[in-house]
Amino acid sequence: MADTAGPATVRSRCVGDAAVIYASNYLNKLNGERIERECRQQLEAGRRALVINFRDTELVNSIGVSILMCVIDAAEENDVRLVFSNANSHTIDLFEMLGLSRHVNLVNDEEEALTLLSGSSA
Amino acid sequence: MNYRRILGRIEREEFVGRDRELDQIARHASRSAEARGLLLLAAPPAGVSELLRQAFDQLFAQRGDAIPIYFSLTQHDSLAVDAAVRFFTTFLQQYIAYRRVDPSLCEAPLSLKELVELALPTDYEWIAALAQSFERENAAGDTQALIQLCLGTPQKAAAAGQIIFPMIDGVHFAGDFRGRIGFGRQLAEIIARSKSPFAIAGPRRQVMDLIREADDVEGASPVIHLERLDDAHAARLVEQASRRYEVEINEQTRDLMVQQFAASPFFITSMMQAAQQANTPLNSFVNCQRVYVDQLLGGQINRYFASIFDRLTPDAQIRKNLLRVLYESLLSETHKSSLWTWKKRIGADASEFEHIVHQLHVRELVNSSGSFVEVNSESTVWLDYLRATYRVEGAGEPRALVVADTLTQTLKRAPRTMARHYRRESAVGLRDLLARFNCQEVAATLFHDDRFKTAYKGIEPEQVEASLDAEADLIRLPQIVHVAACGSFTATSRFGDEERCAVGHGFEAADYVDQSEIVWLAAEVESKLEAGRELAQEWFDRLTDLARRCGFAKVRVWLIAPEGFSAEACRFLTRRSAYASSRRQIELLSARIKPGVESREVHPDAANEYELVIPMGQDTELIAAHAVEQIARRLNFPAQAINQIKTALIEASINAAEHSLSPDRKIYQRFRAENDKLVVTVTSRGIVPADMRVEVDGRTVSPSDQNRRGWGLKLIRTLMDEVEFEHVDDGTQLRMVKYLKK
Repeated sequence: MADTAGPATVRSRCVGDAAVIYASNYLNKLNGERIERECRQQLEAGRRALVINFRDTELVNSIGVSILMCVIDAAEENDVRLVFSNANSHTIDLFEMLGLSRHVNLVNDEEEALTLLSGSSA
Repeated sequence: MNYRRILGRIEREEFVGRDRELDQIARHASRSAEARGLLLLAAPPAGVSELLRQAFDQLFAQRGDAIPIYFSLTQHDSLAVDAAVRFFTTFLQQYIAYRRVDPSLCEAPLSLKELVELALPTDYEWIAALAQSFERENAAGDTQALIQLCLGTPQKAAAAGQIIFPMIDGVHFAGDFRGRIGFGRQLAEIIARSKSPFAIAGPRRQVMDLIREADDVEGASPVIHLERLDDAHAARLVEQASRRYEVEINEQTRDLMVQQFAASPFFITSMMQAAQQANTPLNSFVNCQRVYVDQLLGGQINRYFASIFDRLTPDAQIRKNLLRVLYESLLSETHKSSLWTWKKRIGADASEFEHIVHQLHVRELVNSSGSFVEVNSESTVWLDYLRATYRVEGAGEPRALVVADTLTQTLKRAPRTMARHYRRESAVGLRDLLARFNCQEVAATLFHDDRFKTAYKGIEPEQVEASLDAEADLIRLPQIVHVAACGSFTATSRFGDEERCAVGHGFEAADYVDQSEIVWLAAEVESKLEAGRELAQEWFDRLTDLARRCGFAKVRVWLIAPEGFSAEACRFLTRRSAYASSRRQIELLSARIKPGVESREVHPDAANEYELVIPMGQDTELIAAHAVEQIARRLNFPAQAINQIKTALIEASINAAEHSLSPDRKIYQRFRAENDKLVVTVTSRGIVPADMRVEVDGRTVSPSDQNRRGWGLKLIRTLMDEVEFEHVDDGTQLRMVKYLKK
């Protein structure tokens, strides 16, 4: 499936039954909600795995992170695999401080994330 | 700066302890464009007259633009017109002396005609015209017109292009004039209308009333409060006086005079003069008290108080009744009586009684408020005079008996006076300490003597310091907004020296709500060894009894003993949630408590401070984040630290935007770069709603939907090295510090 992007949405692309969603430069409330909506839409479209790619994310705030927790909760409830990739060291530190890393896999890059997801689905 | 003595009664180098005030007066005189009054408020007799005289001498020598004029109302001015005429001649004399640069003219016996002849050619015309007007009004017998003319002299000088700096002293005597026409107020108004700077001095309880009544004196005049000389300056004053009058003293008698006379230059000088006249060295307590008692019963000290009484009323019987009423009030436990009782017993009519009480109040011999009047028991000399004079003149006791009794009493009192002074000097300064609390966090062991001893007894001081700094169990002190001695809250004298027992009213976390209000009752107890349970209980009961009688809802008792408390005493106090500290703990505490939060705002290097104001919303916190990034780069913070600072700042900004209910929707940020750290302060106006409150120590008290959204403060505290909410009256202020780790 082709990449999708628009002013009120986040950029995403599909790889098999996984969707890769690209977080923006600043993970605040608005962008967090956009990711949340994109994830929901991807799940409704039948995706069983989600990758959130943080390669463009320079700054996060706690509200954005709390929305990610909601995404994690929703993935768990729906038995959907979720991986975070490409987060810089500062973002990883924040995820660890706030306990996110206990609930989701953090990998270095998108390829690793997809490999992990395909491996776990095998 | 030394200068020739003109009006000063002592040489400049002998005039101690008032350098700051002299500078203030001189600076005020130089502000000719401001045309404002300077008020000097003093507790009588604090030496304000000599201060103005010295200021005159200094200004005369400095030859500035403003011409100094010193005029004092005195007890000898029986009529307003007499005072006005004296003002007129004094003004002209000092003006001409200044213009001619001839200080000897200031007090020379010159007639009006001679003064006119001495005027400089450039002044001759207006002075001659003024003198003619004076002669005319004086001959016409119109008192009011004459007073107006005389008091308007400064305006005439101003109209001639001169800048005058009149210093008016003794305004309390204006209230004694017969045919009273509001002379003091009239004088103040006329002086103010001259549109030059001026100074008015007098008893602090009168000058402000006078200014409020005067139409043209602006309410925003700067004020100098002439406080009592500190002990060091007072000791120098005694030494100077002893040299001037060639009276031998020693250190003990010097310090006794400082304490007994409360550093009053007038009483100290009177003693020296009397000792010189009697050829008595003041080198023993006996000699001092002999000279003192002599002064009290017939010398200058007696005349000082007697003249006050003489001016209260011409009726000798009323004065006698007044003396008796004052004495009996003194004997009562509270020193207080109702005004109605006084009036009835003194026998004066309403207006005379009001005048009497007012004058006693102005001279701080009594404290009068509303329905009660109380003998002011702060002045030892006044009380001694009252007792001795009543016994001789009121009760008719033999003079020899009163002299002997007074002498023996003052001798017995002398060592106690000094002991009280030494104790006061060695006190820990409870009131100052409480006032500095200001929501600061300190190690809890500083308030638990038993725990402190267990942890630190026998440990090297450096290690104790380091361990205290590392302690995790902290107490957040309240913000104390008012402190007073325990004795101020009760008429009894159960609390000893006022420096050793204090009541501090305040709020926990500077949160001005009922639940946060707290009263700290602190007392320093005397005990050579560890204070035992009995002593601890005695003081605990004393303080809690005070709290109960005053209706304090929530209290904290804090006892301090030089060597701390026994284990049993500690257990007793701990069970009652009271604090116990030793002298050592107090010293450690005092070293850790900063002077005050406001002082943090004073910084010497404005070049390293940046301020930013951003509107709330629209991700504006990113603008602040980028700004702080640039600042942090300049300080060579590593990338990781910069990211942490940015994130913390973002969180603080979001916190302000979400919780402040800010009326202006702005976030104020300040970044201060210091050698080893970056201080970031984020402030917003508004009130934090109670249901959104987050405790500053991390314990959240918030609705359940905040469980995840309350991460902001947690992040800030983790990312920054120091985080503190500072109290501001309106809104919140968060201070964060990141240290530059080498």
